[in-house]
Amino acid sequence: MDDIKKIARELFTSGKVNAVLGYVSINGQRTKPFLATKPEETDNFIINKYILNNLTVYLTKKEILKYGKIGIFAKGCDVKAIVALLQESQIKREEVYIVGINCNGVCADFDMEFSGETIALKCLNCEVRTPKLYDELIGTTEEMPKADDGKLKMIRKIEALSSAEKWDIFEEQFDKCIKCYACRQACPLCYCERCISDKSVPRWIESSASKRGNFSWNIIRAFHLAGRCIGCNECERACPMEIPLSLLNRKMAMVAQEEFKYVSGLDPNTPTLIGSYDLKDDEDFIE
Amino acid sequence: MKIGVFICHCGENIGRTVDCVRVAKACSFFPNVVHSVEYKYMCSDPGQNMIKQAIKDLKLDGVVVGSCSPHMHEKTFRKAVSDAGVNPFLCEIANLREHVSWVHDDKEVATDKAIDLMRFAVEKVKRNAPLKTIQVPVTKRTLVIGGGIAGIQAALDVANAGYEVVLVEKEPSIGGHMSQLSETFPTLDCSQCILTPRMVEVYQHPKIKLMTYSEVEKVEGFIGNFKVTIRKKARFVDDTLCSGCGDCAIKCPIKKKALSEFDEKLAFRSAIYVPFPQAVPNIPVIDKEVCTYFKNGKCSMCVKVCGRNAIKFDQQDEFISEDIGAIIVATGYKLYTIDKKPEASEIKGYGEYGYGKYKDVVDGLQFERIASASGPTSGEFQRPSDGKTPKKIVFIQCVGSRDESKGFSYCSKICCMYTAKHAMLYKHKVHDGEAYVFYMDIRAGGKMYEEFVRRAIEEDGVKYIRGRVSRIYEEDGKYIVKGEDTLAGVPIQIDADMVVLATAMVAQTDAPKLAQTIGMPYDNYGFYSEVHPKLRPVESSTGGVFLAGACNSPRDIPDSVAMASAAAAKALVLFGSDMLEREPTIAFVNENLCAGCFYCKKVCAYNAIEVKQIKDKNGNVIKEVAFVNSGLCQGCGTCNATCPSKAIELIGYTDEQIYAEIAALM
Amino acid sequence: MENKTFEPKIIAFVCNWCTYTGADLAGTSRMKYEPNVRLIKLPCTGRIDPVMILKAFEKGADGVLVSGCHPGDCHYNAGNFHARRRWIMFHKLLDFVGIDENRLHFSWVSASEGKKFVDVINGFVNKVKAKGPFEKYEKINKEFVING
Repeated sequence: MDDIKKIARELFTSGKVNAVLGYVSINGQRTKPFLATKPEETDNFIINKYILNNLTVYLTKKEILKYGKIGIFAKGCDVKAIVALLQESQIKREEVYIVGINCNGVCADFDMEFSGETIALKCLNCEVRTPKLYDELIGTTEEMPKADDGKLKMIRKIEALSSAEKWDIFEEQFDKCIKCYACRQACPLCYCERCISDKSVPRWIESSASKRGNFSWNIIRAFHLAGRCIGCNECERACPMEIPLSLLNRKMAMVAQEEFKYVSGLDPNTPTLIGSYDLKDDEDFIE
Repeated sequence: MKIGVFICHCGENIGRTVDCVRVAKACSFFPNVVHSVEYKYMCSDPGQNMIKQAIKDLKLDGVVVGSCSPHMHEKTFRKAVSDAGVNPFLCEIANLREHVSWVHDDKEVATDKAIDLMRFAVEKVKRNAPLKTIQVPVTKRTLVIGGGIAGIQAALDVANAGYEVVLVEKEPSIGGHMSQLSETFPTLDCSQCILTPRMVEVYQHPKIKLMTYSEVEKVEGFIGNFKVTIRKKARFVDDTLCSGCGDCAIKCPIKKKALSEFDEKLAFRSAIYVPFPQAVPNIPVIDKEVCTYFKNGKCSMCVKVCGRNAIKFDQQDEFISEDIGAIIVATGYKLYTIDKKPEASEIKGYGEYGYGKYKDVVDGLQFERIASASGPTSGEFQRPSDGKTPKKIVFIQCVGSRDESKGFSYCSKICCMYTAKHAMLYKHKVHDGEAYVFYMDIRAGGKMYEEFVRRAIEEDGVKYIRGRVSRIYEEDGKYIVKGEDTLAGVPIQIDADMVVLATAMVAQTDAPKLAQTIGMPYDNYGFYSEVHPKLRPVESSTGGVFLAGACNSPRDIPDSVAMASAAAAKALVLFGSDMLEREPTIAFVNENLCAGCFYCKKVCAYNAIEVKQIKDKNGNVIKEVAFVNSGLCQGCGTCNATCPSKAIELIGYTDEQIYAEIAALM
Repeated sequence: MENKTFEPKIIAFVCNWCTYTGADLAGTSRMKYEPNVRLIKLPCTGRIDPVMILKAFEKGADGVLVSGCHPGDCHYNAGNFHARRRWIMFHKLLDFVGIDENRLHFSWVSASEGKKFVDVINGFVNKVKAKGPFEKYEKINKEFVING
């Protein structure tokens, strides 16, 4: 652990950054994001099984941008968001110093013992345990608990249902939505100056938490992230109503991979999925 | 807004199936509609005057006409509205004829639909903004890309009309494939004899700026206003000093290392060379790959013999920028190399014909060089392997053409004719020789073409066999050609001394790259697409870009020349006016909302989106946002649909307008 | 409700250059087709935004048709290629959440395909007729009206 503090301090002392985004512990099974703007503020920095937040969400915030060059502690999944932000011109590579974390899985939520039962589902088939992009790398990868990918099973199950059955499932789920937009707030890729859900002329998405407003919102949210979502699953963790948002996000990621062999957040130089095209894109569904 | 609604009966065309009176009545109850009438012929003078009068009397500031398709009379009605002092873009058309009265029988249903369409249009016009057509000046200079016969013809036509032309050719000389040909069908006149005067005319023309050994690097701008960057590749010879004496090439010690491109690899050339004696310009280039100086610095013979110090080993590529109004693309074709699978292609190729393996199996252009008086054999028929006169030649047509499984599904169009010509030329010189042609069909459509093929068969005794060749192999110094005579229904075997393959005409390898540079469409084969195959055959859908010759599809010389003249005429039409008018339906950016993700830039096919820096008062960049270059934007709206927060919108088709139309469904 | 008497409301988003003109051609050729479809003309399929499709359903459409130029024929070079990529993602998403694929139809209809335009319209209208009114969406719409 001293290692982390030393690294974080050195980022300041070597003049590489003006502020560092990291995690500090609240109790043994909880952390919170922390922005250190002075070397001594990094003393409580920690890396454990509870560094759940995707800190990249802060990289596009004005309050953070004002510091100039930022250091960030980032797991492989978080780095995928950095890559996506680079693809979308939201940050400049030279403005971010990435301390990549070799990751052995994190807990699904705070206040639980880490095990095969409680490991976050996104960690199960993780292919970026060593981040794809970093300025320095810490930690080592070790054996990780194995568990069933319940979400994938659920997606497969839904796919096999009739339209009416699918509709009923999602109507019930979306009905829970209270339009608090915590999902949007937690998403590193929801950086629009004004979300389309807040656009009033014309109002494409009803603002009230009505059934049809909820339906449109959840569909458009998933669509605007299609081919972009890097699967950090922070939206779902943030949702107070426990809507399984990752069903839609993961389904879209699966489509991206099946249709276009595209996995988001791997290479900043890859053209984005939406925004590029191939002459041979599927058109069997078009008459 | 005070909207006037005008329903046209179109004689009986609309009135027969749509109750126009009921439609007008229904429209009069729409919000903001203050005037709603119907009339027999709205497009007639009295009809138009009704609109004008109503605008004046009732101070209308929006007009909806229910009539025929906007593609028919939108301009008419917009002009009428404009004449009466209302902005023409505050006039909308509902299509009550093509989309209603002509396609439905039930009068009730048709009338209901007509009312719906009127409601859509009224809702849209309420949200229309007064717009001004964009006026852009025209630069009256033409860029011709490709110096083959099509490019030469186009350049001369435009230049002779008095306008400047920049002719860019990637090879060291203009002339293209036509300069390689021996004699041309169906007249058998010598290709070079008719071509070289044109080449010289280009060279000497005061209005033509000739840039050989050059390539188009970048095309920015739009119709009438292109900015083109041309890469002038280093020749390592100063063209202002060189007198074209040719001493350097004669003295160059590299004699047997480089194969001549002009002679289709049937002969060698030196490291410093002009491609052929009649080359225009007659200025050599140095082939860096084989030149000893560039390898180890040990030779500089050319420098020693050049009396004018024209050799410049340190010459660099130059980039030249030109202002251009019209672009004529005439980049031609290449022959399908059958032993090699084309890059990124499913095509299997014809390995069984032994091209590339047997020296005496040649393609059409190689045979042209053998037959040509300026060729490596000075026009004597000698086969490449041993120089002996072939006594039996087999010609195979449709190698790669009309063969979906192994080649291309299209017909290359010229091979029937040139194969007949080849066989004829051979028989004229080798009287005791035998010429066999394997063909699928004879396609000799063209002036004097059928007669030409008949002459080959009847007067010159060329033997035509309908059928395909399955295999060629070597045995005892002969090439055994195995095939089938499908008319007789028997297998056939010919022991040939030489085989000529009429390989398919295909698009240039880098054709898609140039298309992307210019921003114009091309088909699956790499041929450039015309707007309309019948009515607009020489225009690309990119404004101000015209097509000539075989870059569009396989074509012979007369067709290419005709197309080149047509393309030149299109460029001249463009130059007929000083200003161009453009629809003002273009995208604009709300900079406050733009987050600078630049998805709009990624999807823009016209490079119309630029990056604009927003700075605070101290000059610090706060953020970068999208900016629409109104000259480049063509108004497709793809950016608008892609933008997640709708910070970029298409004027004339804004979200608000479309929303209103959707909402009007209820 | 009996499907026989059910006349679906269908909105079609079409591009100006191909499908709209193809519909004109169907008209000039006096071909007859089902009257249920209302065309909204856009410059290009590239301009069609998935929010429009959802809004059409919200406003009571029983089916939505999307149509433009064939690949390679786009008046704006590549608008339909970008559109196609979006549609792939969007139609899979809608299918996943239970909007029957028979209610959202995609087609390429060129300016010269008046006959195809008619076939597309008739085929789609019949499909939607067979499906009946879009009750599921009507239900969530109604809830909105009551709760305000």
